[in-house]
Amino acid sequence: MVDNRQYFWRFLNPIVVAIAYLFLYMPIIVLVLFSFNDAAFSVSWVGFSLRWYKKLINSPEIISALETSLIVAIVTTFLSLLVGTFFVVASRWWRTSMLGNIFYTNILLPEIVLAIGILSIFNFFNIPLGYGSVIAGHTLLGLGFVVPIVKARFVELDPILTEASLDLGATYLQTFRKVVLPLLMPSIIASGLLVFTLSMDDFLISFFCSGPTVQTLSVYVYSMIKTGVDPMINAVSTCFLVISSILVLVLCSLKVVDHVISYE
Amino acid sequence: MKMLTRLITDELPFFLACPALLWQVVFLYIPFFVLAIYSICDYSAVTGTYFLTGSYYSDIIHSLCFKIILRSFFVAILIAAICFIIAYPVAYYLAVKSGRRYKTLLLFTLILPSWTNLIVQTYAWFFLLGKNGMISVLLQRIGLISPSFHLLNNYFSIIVGMVSCYLPFMILPIYAVLEKMDKQYLEASADLGADRFETFRRIVFPLSLPGVYAGLLLVFIPSFGEFAIPSLLGGSKYAFWGSVIVDKFLKSRDWRSGAALAFIGVMFPIMVMGLTYVLLRGKKIVQRYRQSHHDGLNGNGSAKEFWG
Repeated sequence: MVDNRQYFWRFLNPIVVAIAYLFLYMPIIVLVLFSFNDAAFSVSWVGFSLRWYKKLINSPEIISALETSLIVAIVTTFLSLLVGTFFVVASRWWRTSMLGNIFYTNILLPEIVLAIGILSIFNFFNIPLGYGSVIAGHTLLGLGFVVPIVKARFVELDPILTEASLDLGATYLQTFRKVVLPLLMPSIIASGLLVFTLSMDDFLISFFCSGPTVQTLSVYVYSMIKTGVDPMINAVSTCFLVISSILVLVLCSLKVVDHVISYE
Repeated sequence: MKMLTRLITDELPFFLACPALLWQVVFLYIPFFVLAIYSICDYSAVTGTYFLTGSYYSDIIHSLCFKIILRSFFVAILIAAICFIIAYPVAYYLAVKSGRRYKTLLLFTLILPSWTNLIVQTYAWFFLLGKNGMISVLLQRIGLISPSFHLLNNYFSIIVGMVSCYLPFMILPIYAVLEKMDKQYLEASADLGADRFETFRRIVFPLSLPGVYAGLLLVFIPSFGEFAIPSLLGGSKYAFWGSVIVDKFLKSRDWRSGAALAFIGVMFPIMVMGLTYVLLRGKKIVQRYRQSHHDGLNGNGSAKEFWG
């Protein structure tokens, strides 16, 4: 009886793992495969072709949506890293480290609530929607990741290092640049990668706050799917996948992956 | 000028912390305030003035909207439960059983889907489950379903899409906790005569609870407010909390009622968060309370200790 049960558990576990991975990867693999298919509306394999990618490159809407997404993601990453790191560094000297916990609400509240919040305040003060509102929303989300991740690394630092630096005559700025910043670097890079992907992948805030003039890639793909299935979406999706796998590879190779996993 | 520079250097931490706090206040707290005002105020055309009203809240509680909120709540709980059942064995395998060589690869392949665009993942299921999608065609050829049976645009497709999108967010926190667990506990437990099941029930699972709670929150909250997945895989046929908010804010422009709906709906995730907090910290708080009460009776404790 006991033996039976042990065999059951020994084989059940890998089988569940296999099913879970299959479940996660089957759609992705099929998507990538069919982006090279030379047929418009068929699910059967016709032949290898790059024509959807050619169509993709020649589509001005997609290129401009990609540009928008990239601009938003880069500005968001820069802003949340800057503001977040400053906050973390200050919170130690200021002796109010508990204050950092307020940023957890940004990830814990449903994203749709943040989105309508931003929408309502821009509407209330009659500010036109556009890059500003999308970046404001994404940075709000980004702070929710940057502050906890960088703070976890910062509290591990030995305060003697900063004290020594200040004793030896360095100013606050020099201490920050030459002592604190290099030590925080792994967590800053990890959270930066995370915020960049977050902003690239975000749909809800972009959907609510981008207004009529600005369109990010996620929103564009969404409206494309809504109007009908087009193999070009497969090609766009494959590009998305390539970008995110490069980012995850960077993350893994920099050995900063632990910083992200514990907070994701 | 000199005084200003002096002020800035003396109070540097304050000025460094300011931008983040300001961002938080301007784009999170003030908007909430604005939304709250929207939801409790109304404009009267007769008198030309604004007046306070709770009618938007009572309207929503007595209308179909409240049923829709409850529906999203139960669907989100169902999805969190399914994710938990699939995720726990996977996290356990990754943390405890997998060899060192495969662990990095398995972890990489796990993070990749969680960093992939949600719309892209949803589209993949759209593509697979659609009328001419691979899974539908396959099942038809086997003979499991008739050609008129649709896999798309029902609860099944919504749940499949959501589970596959949120599964990594359940696996990773559980993995992180199990990974940090001292593996010697397992040996000690085996030495003391417990079988695997007993070890799991009494040692591994209790230790992994913080990760489980984190995972449940990370799956429950986004799936409660999800809009894109039901809209794409449910064919806009099923209204959820998120889709009603989209309707009210972007289509019918009924902001006051939309704000009330948002506030009523957001109570559910907040309640769940409070519950998990109590489950995680409850024992400690009770212990502390007992301790302070006991000390208080002996005359050497204070309320400050209890709160501190």
